[in-house]
Amino acid sequence: MVKNFELKINGKLYKVKAYEDEPLLWVIRERLRLTGTKFGCGMGLCGACTVLIDKRAQRSCLVPVSSAVGKEIITIDGIPSNHPLKRAWIELQVPQCGYCQPGQIMEAYALLLENPRPTRDQIVQRLSSHICRCGTYNRIIGAVEKAVKGGKT
Amino acid sequence: MITRRDVIKAGGLTLCVMLTPEGYKVLKAQELPKRYAPNLWINISRDNYLTVYVNKSEMGQGVYTGLAMLVAEELDFPWERVRVRPAPAGRAYVDPKMGIQLTGGSTSVRNMYEVLRLAGASMREMIVASASKSLKVPREKIKAKNGFIMVEGKSYPYGDFADLAIKEPIPPKPRLKEPKEFIYIGKSVSRVDVPEKVEGSAVFGIDSFLEGMVYAVVERPPYFGARPLKIDASPAKRLPEVIDVFPISTGVAVCGESFWACQKARQSLRVEWSESFVKGWEDKDFERYFLQKLKDKGEVVKVNGSPQKVFEESPIKVEETYIQPYLYHATMEPMACLAWVKEDECIVYAPIQSQTWALEAAKRISGLPESKIKIITTYLGGGFGRKANVEFVAEALEISKRLKRPVKLIYTREDDIRSGYFRPYSITHIKASADKNGNLNSLTFKIAVQPLLGGNASVEGVANTPYQIPNLHVERIDMELPVSVWFWRSVGSTHNAFSLETMIDRIAYQIRQDPAELRLRLLKHNPVAYRVVQTAMEKSGWGKKRNLGIAYHYSFGSHACHVAEVSLEKGKVKVHRVVAVIDVGPITVHPDLIKSQVEGAIMMGLSMALKEGVSFKGGGVANTNFNGYEILRMDEAPKVEVYILNSKREMGGVGEPGLPPIAPAVANALLWAYGIKVNRLPIKV
Repeated sequence: MVKNFELKINGKLYKVKAYEDEPLLWVIRERLRLTGTKFGCGMGLCGACTVLIDKRAQRSCLVPVSSAVGKEIITIDGIPSNHPLKRAWIELQVPQCGYCQPGQIMEAYALLLENPRPTRDQIVQRLSSHICRCGTYNRIIGAVEKAVKGGKT
Repeated sequence: MITRRDVIKAGGLTLCVMLTPEGYKVLKAQELPKRYAPNLWINISRDNYLTVYVNKSEMGQGVYTGLAMLVAEELDFPWERVRVRPAPAGRAYVDPKMGIQLTGGSTSVRNMYEVLRLAGASMREMIVASASKSLKVPREKIKAKNGFIMVEGKSYPYGDFADLAIKEPIPPKPRLKEPKEFIYIGKSVSRVDVPEKVEGSAVFGIDSFLEGMVYAVVERPPYFGARPLKIDASPAKRLPEVIDVFPISTGVAVCGESFWACQKARQSLRVEWSESFVKGWEDKDFERYFLQKLKDKGEVVKVNGSPQKVFEESPIKVEETYIQPYLYHATMEPMACLAWVKEDECIVYAPIQSQTWALEAAKRISGLPESKIKIITTYLGGGFGRKANVEFVAEALEISKRLKRPVKLIYTREDDIRSGYFRPYSITHIKASADKNGNLNSLTFKIAVQPLLGGNASVEGVANTPYQIPNLHVERIDMELPVSVWFWRSVGSTHNAFSLETMIDRIAYQIRQDPAELRLRLLKHNPVAYRVVQTAMEKSGWGKKRNLGIAYHYSFGSHACHVAEVSLEKGKVKVHRVVAVIDVGPITVHPDLIKSQVEGAIMMGLSMALKEGVSFKGGGVANTNFNGYEILRMDEAPKVEVYILNSKREMGGVGEPGLPPIAPAVANALLWAYGIKVNRLPIKV
């Protein structure tokens, strides 16, 4: 039941012991201490734990670690500081408590990989799968739009 | 933990701010009398950094930024060289006006505004004095600006004089800047916490680690008010990485080498729970019980004139019963705490709004004195009042004491909602009347609700309404139930603003009178409130646009008025736009922080209006995750415009006052646009 796994996260290989059915979330944030990936609900409802697995946004609370082996996992820590999304997030002073923001940024990052020029409606539709209790929604939309326009508003 | 010795050793110039019987004083760390406790430390280091140790918790409201900028303002210091650190827990750091260390009540900037400026100004004068001596230049020829001493074309960082400045006396009356000299106050400096929150490196309570730590989860009773009687944990204990299972005061602790081991182990637990008064209760049982109790005679909080008599005689009458559910805070970071109770020391890392109450729990459980207890406040992944209740800290301490190891306790979302501490459920009965012109002449307000703050919260916003109501009766029935209740952003005003403000519109609606104009009449004696309503009317296009609803409320020292534009789309309420006006008193310290707090309060208040309510089954929570307890999402978020007004009076709060008016504004819009009366939240159409 508890086995050894090898995971590739942000381009780096990690060896880790975990339960086979243990969600990737807990392996990333507690066993490997990459705490930028947050626990919110454990049911894929809030998006706080969003990471990229082979370039697709996934709720890491729903992905068993065993199925992430051999895949490219990207977390918030793997997005460079000068990425247009991170820069726009700072310029628009998006976060309040900040807890949901890594998940929001990862979802936006995945969206831009699939569609580099999403419309406002597409942004809203996609990010409505995330919860921000502080209510920063309008600023998040603004930041994604800004990043899409290459930092210009 | 910072002690007097530490700061002296650290070098540079350190001042502390302290409350004495004569008011605030700024002192040097070296001069600090032993029996006095400072409320804040400020240090300029030799390498020219300003560090402010803040005794308030950063939960998203921007308090680290708001407080530090006041010091940096008077010191005239470059913002990028300002650092903020959380103050530890201890008598030294209590909020001077509250007497405890607590972040709540929208008070942080209000309570610290003057003294932090004073501290910054004192520091600046001491630096100038010491520069004058060491450079042998008269003070008048020295300019202190942007962290530098400038004299005769040369500039020297403040830090060069920090060590020497200690020898200067504290100026008894430092000169404070005139508003026109402000470099930060009134401007939106960038938040100190934003970069690390965007990077993902910000450390929240749940992100804390200690070497050798283990994990715990707590299995909670299926209904409120129960405790474990019998536990069968034998299959659970056979799982790999599981350490122990035992009862604690709030449930059954399951401990393991990993979080997942704890989660797996709890699935096979068999627990027998004690009986409870609410066992088996469903939503309708709460309603029945509250309605029944509402008939009792309660505590009369306020009586003016003869409300009953005036009601009988008035041509316009409104009588309504409002039902509002228990509400869950839903902080995105659930309760989590890392605690280590050792023989001679106790360490706690936690996202807490009250360090004092965490410290009390640590003293009680560890048996150690305050000097042996170290409480580290992390960032809070949301607070909204919930994290001022520290039962999760007590649980982690209890578990660590038993295991003799560092323990990280994590609530799952289900644990978090089932732990309670909700905004209380309430049923309100209102009778109001008006003369033929719609002038409100009586209000009889009676509420059945579990009391907070000794019952003051039950009638908050009604007993102290700025509306002129000549005949007023305010009464409360204090309910007792095992469902735990607690402060939820804007507290009693969450439910009272709703009943009061929708009632005003019912009166206006009966005689088809403009509800905004009616409010202006009720507030004509209060120019500040009057202007807030008037501005909201102007900015929203009141009278020109359709489907608008208005509500005004005064809470936490600020006046707020919101206008919501709504429509019904496919049987659902859609809020398109909200115009929000807030009067915060004489000073706008940081416009963008005010704006973001009001934006956030509107989203939370709208979520409450349209979606939220704890539902019960079997006496416990039925909707235990975000699929049943729904929170407002991005596609439901309206555009929000925030207008900040200033007025000559005491400073008002910012974190909470933006919340109460939104729900009634939406309900009022529905009344006028569609004839829908909302007496129960969340709104169902």
